[in-house]
Amino acid sequence: MKNTIYSILAITGCVIIGKLTAYLIGGLPSSLYGLICFTLLLHFKILSADRIKLSIEWAIKNMSVCFIPAGVGIIEHFELIQKHGLAIVFIIFISTFILLTIVGLLFERTMDKQNNVHITNRSTL
Amino acid sequence: MYIDQLPSVALSIILIVSTVCIYQVFTKLQVKSKAIWLNPLLLSIFVIALFILYIDMSFQQYFESTRPLTNLIEPAVVALGFPLYQQLHTIKRQWKVILLLLTLGVFIVIPVSILLTVSLIAIPEIAVSLSLKSVTTPIGIALTDALNGNSAITAFAIILAGFFGALLGPSWLNFINVKSAEAQGLAIGAASHALGTATISKISYEHSAYGSLALILSAVITAVVSPFLIPFMFFCLN
Repeated sequence: MKNTIYSILAITGCVIIGKLTAYLIGGLPSSLYGLICFTLLLHFKILSADRIKLSIEWAIKNMSVCFIPAGVGIIEHFELIQKHGLAIVFIIFISTFILLTIVGLLFERTMDKQNNVHITNRSTL
Repeated sequence: MYIDQLPSVALSIILIVSTVCIYQVFTKLQVKSKAIWLNPLLLSIFVIALFILYIDMSFQQYFESTRPLTNLIEPAVVALGFPLYQQLHTIKRQWKVILLLLTLGVFIVIPVSILLTVSLIAIPEIAVSLSLKSVTTPIGIALTDALNGNSAITAFAIILAGFFGALLGPSWLNFINVKSAEAQGLAIGAASHALGTATISKISYEHSAYGSLALILSAVITAVVSPFLIPFMFFCLN
């Protein structure tokens, strides 16, 4: 219970710092500043990772429920969907798969190379 | 139904509780059936959309009443700092490659989406929305507003991009021989943000870690790049 309150306070603090930073400097959306702040506070051990672990993992597991209201908003756009729905789905499908393929393939290749370098280094020693 | 006579707080509570319950039921269903296409988010949206159409409630009323749920997106994004923190040691070793690849991804996906949309639909507003679909919702919406897109279309496109990556991503990546958990996580995080990452997190810890890493870095890169890249694309097309 104590750890849950600790986690909520930690997140709230970071949300506020994020909002302040976005207000003062602008640029990125406030939630990103909050995220960066949360990561840094954990990294420099100002926040205890052990105490927040369980609550945060639970929150991340269930976060998709927050997207439901925005998703239901699609009923506002029947006309657009009727007219261009197929094209929109097609564009999203194609560009998502292009991105998946490029990032996936290239990262797999570079990791293979790095691993090979590791192995050859070891064998020459 | 006498929705108009309910005090707004009561309506708010009823709608939020039912939204969460419907989501819970579908989550249980998915856990039991283990079928990845029974996505709780997709099914919940579908059922709730049908329901509010059936009882003749306006979307605006539903959205305003469930505002607390939407407001939770911001702290949820902040919470993603935890998996990022856990992965910091990984970035130390691979940060150049990861940053380079994700930047390359952003520079490919935005022009491709804009070119396709302009040639197939020819509405600039939708082109902006579709080009921002690979980043997590709060950031996508914020950028859409700044760049004169249509935020409802962005929200829909983001969810759809999330679904494609979450449902078909792992099998597609296996098919093209991208089999390591790290590469799969990074690709799905980059293309399908939080939704994809949340779904593949069940496969392995590496999937979730690299997924969060990619979704966070991609969002940051997109936020930095798109205010220049998107107007530049439109400038070139005119």
